[in-house]
Amino acid sequence: MRSEASDEELMLRYGKGDARAFEALYRRHRLPLYRFLLRQVGNAATAEELFQDLWMRVVNSRGRYEVRAKFTSWIYAIAHNRLMDFYRADGRASFLSQEESESVLEGTPAVEIAADLRLDRKRAVERLLAALGELPDAQREAFLLQQEGELSIEEIAAATGVSRETAKSRLRYAVAKLRASLGKES
Amino acid sequence: MIEQRDEELSRIYRDAEGPRPPQRVDDNILAASQRVAGLVRRPAAIGFARRWGVPVALAATVLVTSTLALMVYERQSGLDATAPQVPPAGRPAKVSPAEPKPAAAPPAVLPPIAPAPPIPPDAMRRDQPQQYLGESAASSRGPGPGQPAFPEVPRTPEVPRTAEALRKREEAKPAPVAPVPGANIRAGAIPPQPPVPDVQRAFEVQPPIRPAQAPAAAPEASPRPDSKTRIQSAISGSTGIRATEFSANPNANERTPEKWLEDIRKLRLDGKMAEADRELAEFKKRYPDFRLPEDLP
Repeated sequence: MRSEASDEELMLRYGKGDARAFEALYRRHRLPLYRFLLRQVGNAATAEELFQDLWMRVVNSRGRYEVRAKFTSWIYAIAHNRLMDFYRADGRASFLSQEESESVLEGTPAVEIAADLRLDRKRAVERLLAALGELPDAQREAFLLQQEGELSIEEIAAATGVSRETAKSRLRYAVAKLRASLGKES
Repeated sequence: MIEQRDEELSRIYRDAEGPRPPQRVDDNILAASQRVAGLVRRPAAIGFARRWGVPVALAATVLVTSTLALMVYERQSGLDATAPQVPPAGRPAKVSPAEPKPAAAPPAVLPPIAPAPPIPPDAMRRDQPQQYLGESAASSRGPGPGQPAFPEVPRTPEVPRTAEALRKREEAKPAPVAPVPGANIRAGAIPPQPPVPDVQRAFEVQPPIRPAQAPAAAPEASPRPDSKTRIQSAISGSTGIRATEFSANPNANERTPEKWLEDIRKLRLDGKMAEADRELAEFKKRYPDFRLPEDLP
């Protein structure tokens, strides 16, 4: 298996019956996707279920797959849809009500990360993850898509089905809140 | 390109120990993917059969259908060609196919016959075995005009051959010793004639000429105007009696040539020269090879 094969090539090869291509694809994306799901739902069992269901959807879509966008955009879009189903089933209606006014955000000054947290990386990680869990689902999703999926704002917008400005706003809110959590303790 | 990415925040996030999916989840997903890939590969293995199965089946169907249709058509055409043909009981054309045509005889008894090209006996004999080879061969060539499509009755060809042989035998006999026609039958004056049973045999072998068979024999008999004569000659067979001799000269039927010449002499002696000359001319016509005595030039 060539390591330089792109995600799209691997997926196309798997669509033709190459099981090794799928295995390479899975090894490449399993950890980011699992982290994305786990940090979105906050529950390992649910994350495993969603994770397995996500990959089974990829398996079942092998024959219909076409290279219209990056593989990561496609698979994170599937993850987003799966998450939306989960939120609806779980009764979490707050996902779409997190649109803050960008004007308010623009007036907020950037928070400096505390010097002691820069030295204590472990504490910084704990505080960051705690703050991430407290973010609204949409903002957390935007941040995780950027960090785990390495998606651009446009790709985040496409994967989540919102406009570019909305995706950008969500991401800026998430970053601001996370930085605030790493600032000086009041 | 990642816009507005906070690199410092990203570095802290990456320092977090990432959770991993359980091994069983990995195994389940990979097993499912391989199982499905196997299903994908299996159709590829039988892709050849799927790709060529339908065209080969169609081609085989077309081939078998066309072959059957051709066979049925050939058989049907063969039946069509042979069905209207009525097998003749006898083949008068075989009596004397190469016989030279004598002078035309008055068509008194037989109906008018359409002319047809004579068929050489050799060619006819060559054709006969081929009719047994198969329907398709027979049908493809087809029977000739007036030629029966079915094989002859085995006994039938014997009749004309016998009649012809008898006629030739009769012709081979010297004219002076030729029997006087009427005497053989009516008076029985000349004993060396072929026995009566021959005549009867000829009638037995020769099938009666029925009205239905006459048209079938017509094409081959047509080129020979004296067919009536030959038929009668065949009937008379080895008796040496020619049919024309029955009706041409009634007097000749009752007289031997010597008697006839003696009568001519008497006519001359009686001064009936014209009648004597007429009788003599008739005698010469009747016996052209007879050597006349010197007193009757």
